[in-house]
This record gives sequence, structure tokens and C-alpha cells, in this order.
Amino acid sequence: MNIAAGQDIPELVKHPTTRQLVQYAGAQGDFYEIHYDQTYAKGVGLPGVILHGLLKAAFLGQLVTDWLGDRGTLKNFEVTYRGIDTPAHPYRCRGRVKRVDGTEVELEVWGENHEGQRTTLGTATVEIR
Amino acid sequence: MTATTSVIDRLRARIGVDGAPVTAPVEAGHVKRFAAAIGDPNPRWTKEAPPTFLVALAPVSLHLTEAEEYGQGWLNGGNRFEYFAPVLIGDEITATGRVADVYEKSGSSGDLLFIIFETNYVNQEGVVVAKLRGTMIRR
Repeated sequence: MNIAAGQDIPELVKHPTTRQLVQYAGAQGDFYEIHYDQTYAKGVGLPGVILHGLLKAAFLGQLVTDWLGDRGTLKNFEVTYRGIDTPAHPYRCRGRVKRVDGTEVELEVWGENHEGQRTTLGTATVEIR
Repeated sequence: MTATTSVIDRLRARIGVDGAPVTAPVEAGHVKRFAAAIGDPNPRWTKEAPPTFLVALAPVSLHLTEAEEYGQGWLNGGNRFEYFAPVLIGDEITATGRVADVYEKSGSSGDLLFIIFETNYVNQEGVVVAKLRGTMIRR
């Protein structure tokens, strides 16, 4: 498949649950209470438990590696968290090819909440073989 | 304001000072649990680590007790990974973190304290496999 600027990459829809947040907390070793303790989360001004930023980064990482397959290598991956996300809502990961420069391809990726707001913005640079 | 100013001064004194290195093996079982937790069934993760797995090997930020005197909680502002070599199951990775920058900003809902962390990841052969730059926010 030819890669050209402006192409959309296949989207990935994730369905995070409170169970997944606990599973991720254990796998990463991040036991900050805002990700599994509703009372604690509300006590620090949040609507309830929220997704780990790095879990959303992992979702976008999967979006990129699913698209890339064995065609190349991920060189750079940057995400900015622009809003909080709560479980029990689908999280839609999307992206498009932003720039192709020889074997280097830059992707713009983002995660959208169920209201269509882009709460995670990212860039991935891959080297195509 | 005096109290928060001194928190910032104390944190700024740490800029550029490496934390204690943490060495950890990239274990098949751990990578499998991590891939299951993020919901990524790619069979590739039976041989190598997914892109964000490095954050599970060592804490992504140094534990800064004094930062907790500022505001009421932490937020993750962003993460930037640079990759130089693959991280394979069986590797032994040494992570060394440091505070790269500390600054305060006024936001719409009050003052925020930004702490920028950098972590270098080196494998058992001395090869730098990745670098991570993270923005943690106290609010």
C-alpha cells in the first residue's frame, strides 16, 4: 500500500471499563487512587475515576502499530492530554498521514471521547523499510 | 505564596540531578499482562514490548514529596517517547530519571505547577533504547 499525506488510518475504538483501569494500574504499577477509588477521585475535584493518560497513550500506540504492521519502525511518539476521560464510554482513536519525507512518515493521531472531543492529541514518526 | 515559592525553589534545585537508576528485566509474563491490560492482542508482543511498556519497568517520575505540598493532585500533561532500538523480551533495562524543568503557570482554574521529567532507558548491552519526556502537573 502506498502511503501518502492526507490518508486516514483505520480507526480503533476502545471500550475502557473500571476493571480495565485496575488491570492497567497493576500492569503499569501506577497505583494513584484517582484511577480506581471513586471517593478519592471526587475528593480531588474529579467527576469520578479517570483513565490513566498513559493508557490513552497505549491505545494510540496500538492504533499506530496496527496500521504500521511489519512495514517499519516507530521512532518517535508524542501525546498531549487535553482533557480527562471516564470509563464506560467508548474511546475512539483516529489518525491520518501528515507528512511523507522519503522513508520517514509522520502521523497525526488523536483520541476522541463519546462527545467527539479530542482529549488526547499525538504525533508518531515512523521509518518505513 | 511564600510556602509555594519555596516548594518551587526546592524542586528547581533538583533540575538535572539523576535519580537512582532502576534496573528491571523485560519479562514475558509482564509484557503479556501489560498487553492484556491495554487490550492489544497483537502477537508481536510475545517477542517485543509495545511502545509504552517502558513506563511499566520503572516509575516514570521521581517521587517528589515536596511537590505534594503544592495543589491537591497530579495530572499527566503529556509524554514523548523517542525510540532508538527495539525492547525485546529477555532484555534487562536500566532506567535513569531526572527532573528536567519546573515552572508555574496560571490557568483558568488557578495556578498550576509543571514538572518535566526525563528518563533514559539503556539495555544490557549499554545501548540507549529509548528516552521519555513527561510533563506532570500539580493542580
